[in-house]
Amino acid sequence: MEKLSEKRLEKIGKLIRNPRPGSKVAAAKEFGIDLTLLARNLRLTPEERINETLQAIEDVEFFSNEMRKSLKNKND
Amino acid sequence: MIKPTQAIKAFVENQVAFVIIGGMALRGHGSSYLTQDLDVCYSRERANLKKLAAALAPFNPRPRGFPANLLFVWDEQTLQNGANFTLETSIGDIDLLAEVSGVGIFSNVFDESVTISLYGFEVKVLSIEGLLKAKRAAGRTKDLLVLPELEALREILAESNE
Repeated sequence: MEKLSEKRLEKIGKLIRNPRPGSKVAAAKEFGIDLTLLARNLRLTPEERINETLQAIEDVEFFSNEMRKSLKNKND
Repeated sequence: MIKPTQAIKAFVENQVAFVIIGGMALRGHGSSYLTQDLDVCYSRERANLKKLAAALAPFNPRPRGFPANLLFVWDEQTLQNGANFTLETSIGDIDLLAEVSGVGIFSNVFDESVTISLYGFEVKVLSIEGLLKAKRAAGRTKDLLVLPELEALREILAESNE
């Protein structure tokens, strides 16, 4: 499973921007799913998508540690 | 945090029969879902248990939350005695499942999988259809919340392929 073609990604962009009424895409949008993230992920290979997850988790951990430190300093 | 490169390399090099399921599979298909562990479904065949035990042994697996002062032996027999294992290892948390609700045992999961290229290896990953079945069957709130995105993803991939 490699990267999707530009032509296919273009089609995906259209499906996401203008979801067909009654479609699952429309339902997901209504549910509050940020489909632009989905479109962005589909530009990557599966390996790149997994690597991004790991990076995102690392970033969240860093952010929460910084928050904790900051709150602790304030309370000390 | 999980180091999937090392885990996958160990599984493949030891010729473990496995399929990636759960959050990593979701992510691999394009979902925005974030996960910190690696979930795999594995074959319960005796020879595979031996390979699986050997694959993870270098990473000191222990059940998550298991008291540090208690002895835990990681070997083929331990795998034989259980089915599902939630492990902490030196390369992160790894969950081993003998069966996936909504899909079935390893052979069913394998049949519902697709092959993707990860870190230089060809790896089996549960398909979007399989993930939908698993999430619906699991039925927990966290599983059900994934469904709208996954259903949209399936639709997008099908319709963009026409």
